[in-house]
Amino acid sequence: MRIYEVFLKADGKEEFRHAGSIEAPTDELALVLARENYTRRAEGTHMWVVDRENICVSEEGFIDANLNKSHRHNDGERVAEWRKSQRNKKSNG
Amino acid sequence: MVKSVLSSAIKEYLLAFADDEHLMGQQHTEWIGIAPFLEEDMAFASIGQDELGHASMLYALILEGSSEVDAFIFNRKPEEWRSCQLVESNHQNWEEALMRHWCYDMAEDLRWELFRESSLPELVLISERALKEEKYHRQHADALVENLLKVSTSKSRLMKALEGIVPEVLELFSSIPGETEAISSGLVSGKYCDKLPTWRSRVENRFGVLDQKLFATSDHQARTKRHLDFAPLYGRIREVFLLDPKAVW
Repeated sequence: MRIYEVFLKADGKEEFRHAGSIEAPTDELALVLARENYTRRAEGTHMWVVDRENICVSEEGFIDANLNKSHRHNDGERVAEWRKSQRNKKSNG
Repeated sequence: MVKSVLSSAIKEYLLAFADDEHLMGQQHTEWIGIAPFLEEDMAFASIGQDELGHASMLYALILEGSSEVDAFIFNRKPEEWRSCQLVESNHQNWEEALMRHWCYDMAEDLRWELFRESSLPELVLISERALKEEKYHRQHADALVENLLKVSTSKSRLMKALEGIVPEVLELFSSIPGETEAISSGLVSGKYCDKLPTWRSRVENRFGVLDQKLFATSDHQARTKRHLDFAPLYGRIREVFLLDPKAVW
């Protein structure tokens, strides 16, 4: 038996999302079993199953260096606040 | 009172299909929690629910919009059922349950095909929906069987189960009450037993040529005699209903 990760996508512009995993002996049975286990109540219109062995996994710590770079976090709110203060300055001046 | 549009012979004919679907669905769903692995036990029960859905649509048609569907199903006397032996018999081993699922679903689409150009528009719609689902039921059964046949011990267990099930399938095909009128009225396009050679070739393509003796005609009872396993099965089906038969669900 192999482990497969199951992804579902709803109709329209939604992206594929991880739905869960499943154990199956072949690709075909993985699809068939995922269909009955994850889409019984019309949870999506498209499905991927991916053999977990085929997923490239990054090593531990590979992306940790990006955890503390506040200058990369542009949250919009701060920009909006700055622009508002500029507008206020203009109208007051 | 609205005059019934379906004759009693036609109702008998549809009832045989509805009862088969109902009991097959019930039998599959009873594997929830005990099938060989988690994914399969969910899948098998889910397929069983599809069969229950087919039964429910057929019962609704037979009862022509009556709200008494539950009462009709759960209060019937055993001799009023029209199910076949295949769906009534208690196949306790997994290989028997899987083999019955394979055999039944390889026969079921051939039955729905007969309704595709039915004189009754509702039946055309129901059969279209059912045929879409049946494609995946067959794929499920066949993919499992294909893999198990590669293992010699599994293969011998499946082949033994198959030999026990073939005679029951012959009865499924050949003894349907009301069939003559169903054909003459245009409800269905032909006799179900004419599809038996197609079913047999599916079986022999998958499992190899079987002993001709298995296909010898047996004495069919026109679905009026219940299998010994029917009583306990019916008991389980009615267990909750009988707690309060007047309850509205």
